[in-house]
Amino acid sequence: MCIHWPHGAAQVTGAGAPTTAYGHVCLAFHDPAALDARAVRFLAAGLAAGERVGLIAAGGRDELARRLAGLPGLDDALRRGAVQLMSVQDRYRSDAIIDPEAQVRAYAAATDEALAAGHTGLRVVADATSLVRTAAQRAAFARYEHLIDRFMRHRPMSAICAYDRRVLGEAAIEELACLHPEGNTEVLFRLYALAGTEPVALHGELDPSNHEQFAAALDRANPRPVDGRLLVDATGLRFVDHRSLLHLRDHARRHGATAVLRTSRAGTARLVELLELAEVTVEVAR
Amino acid sequence: MRTGAAAGHVGYFHEAVLYDSDEHLLAVVVPFLLGGVAAGEPAIVGFGERNAELVRRALPAGAEVTFLPGGEVYARPTSAIRSYRKLLAGYVAQGVGQIRIVGELPPIVFGATWDWWARYESAINHAYDDFPLWSMCAYDTRRTPPPVLSDVARTHPRVARPDGSHPPSPTYTPPESYLTEPRPMVVDPVQRTAPLVELTDPSPARARAAVQAADRGHLRPEVVEDLMVAVSEMVTNALRHGTAPVRLRLWSARDRIVVTVHDRGEGPKDPYAGLLPAGDGSAGGLGLWISHQACDHVSLHREADGFTVRLTAGNPHVPV
Repeated sequence: MCIHWPHGAAQVTGAGAPTTAYGHVCLAFHDPAALDARAVRFLAAGLAAGERVGLIAAGGRDELARRLAGLPGLDDALRRGAVQLMSVQDRYRSDAIIDPEAQVRAYAAATDEALAAGHTGLRVVADATSLVRTAAQRAAFARYEHLIDRFMRHRPMSAICAYDRRVLGEAAIEELACLHPEGNTEVLFRLYALAGTEPVALHGELDPSNHEQFAAALDRANPRPVDGRLLVDATGLRFVDHRSLLHLRDHARRHGATAVLRTSRAGTARLVELLELAEVTVEVAR
Repeated sequence: MRTGAAAGHVGYFHEAVLYDSDEHLLAVVVPFLLGGVAAGEPAIVGFGERNAELVRRALPAGAEVTFLPGGEVYARPTSAIRSYRKLLAGYVAQGVGQIRIVGELPPIVFGATWDWWARYESAINHAYDDFPLWSMCAYDTRRTPPPVLSDVARTHPRVARPDGSHPPSPTYTPPESYLTEPRPMVVDPVQRTAPLVELTDPSPARARAAVQAADRGHLRPEVVEDLMVAVSEMVTNALRHGTAPVRLRLWSARDRIVVTVHDRGEGPKDPYAGLLPAGDGSAGGLGLWISHQACDHVSLHREADGFTVRLTAGNPHVPV
């Protein structure tokens, strides 16, 4: 399954993560109208590709429908079930801490239903702002963001996760944005799922300014080793310092595993050797 | 059990050999090595090619003396400390009572990069004090500049003489004092030109980008990559532990890139900063130590207006 995404990718910037075949985009917004315009383009492309599409946000059904008014054939698509609308407050209390696994199961079921109903996949725009206001909410939601990222790598689902800058601070948005392979925020690093044998990829730069954020992201994503090896594709990582290597070592150690960092930078191998990190090995791929 | 002049001494017994002829050098070094061999102690020579050959010829055939491959170990002081500490720990694990080493620095380090080797000579009084080590550092007084000899006298507690005596060095200064003294900066000539880049309070990422932009392909890629690591660390230290404003200046010369990072603070409190890893690594303190191994020269300067660290990638041996 390969979702082509002619409208989205070009407008997305960030740490320069490669445009993915699947789509899991973080969109931080100031202007709700701009979000709606983007949602309409994104969902219209989904409809054109035969997908079931949905908008999940605060507000009643009528309001959500109004926001998608620009979607061609909206009324018909709503009747056919090709467009679904879901009000966040119908499902969650305002201070709810989501259950990451249950949330992914729900999307897995929704993806299966969409396929069973003859659609080619599921595509959603979700404004989750009200679910990430507190640190505890964000911790759970960040975990979910990585789990759904992994799910979308393997199943025909794609999403825009929208976060309201008028409500959330920059740091809060970065905590979530760094767990998306792409987005419109200038995050220095990204951690995301891969489809192949490497469970995760790192992209961008890991340095003194974001190592704590990296430690938190690693802890929340919690990538698991396979046969004692935790493969990390770091070929997109332009810089990594000793602090983040130590976090990676600690993570591997907690799992009784060795982190295998695939990188194109020999400097990383020199640093690992200098620090004598027994639980980290570096494979330099030129 | 320790033997020879260091018998009864605990920890590191550090001496200078200030020789003015081959005969003088051999009269000190040969008995030193053979005394070690006789006592069953590891006896090690870390000399350059010429003097290694001189000693090899003077030793009786089959004497169990180890010659370290010259050169590499004295590329960077912090790396030298790392590799010597490993070597010493290996011997101690075998249960030896004492290790004897005679070494010499390549004369090229008596120029623009002497300051970090002077710090090395001082710091090892502490860094090797965990080991039953008796070592002699040989300096040829005919070729060593007087200011270097003055630092040698201040960093070696004793002098080994050809008459078998081991008098204390009258100007010896313990490392905690020596290493915290203000040290005038030996200016790299390129610093007298306008810097290519000047940044105030840059983020580490901005500072790294400046290094990358200065790369004209005149240095090997790994040299530039390692400089980026060091610059990132030094800017971080200045921003976190120094006093604003933090000023980065960068110069690019034919065979090197020079970067200074200045702040208005007092610099690291730890006298061994850069030469030994500080702390357990997780709480910070590794940045300067890593930088000392990532650059071809690191110079530290405390002045009235603050603290400056200068990093050189490429050829640091410029005429000064």
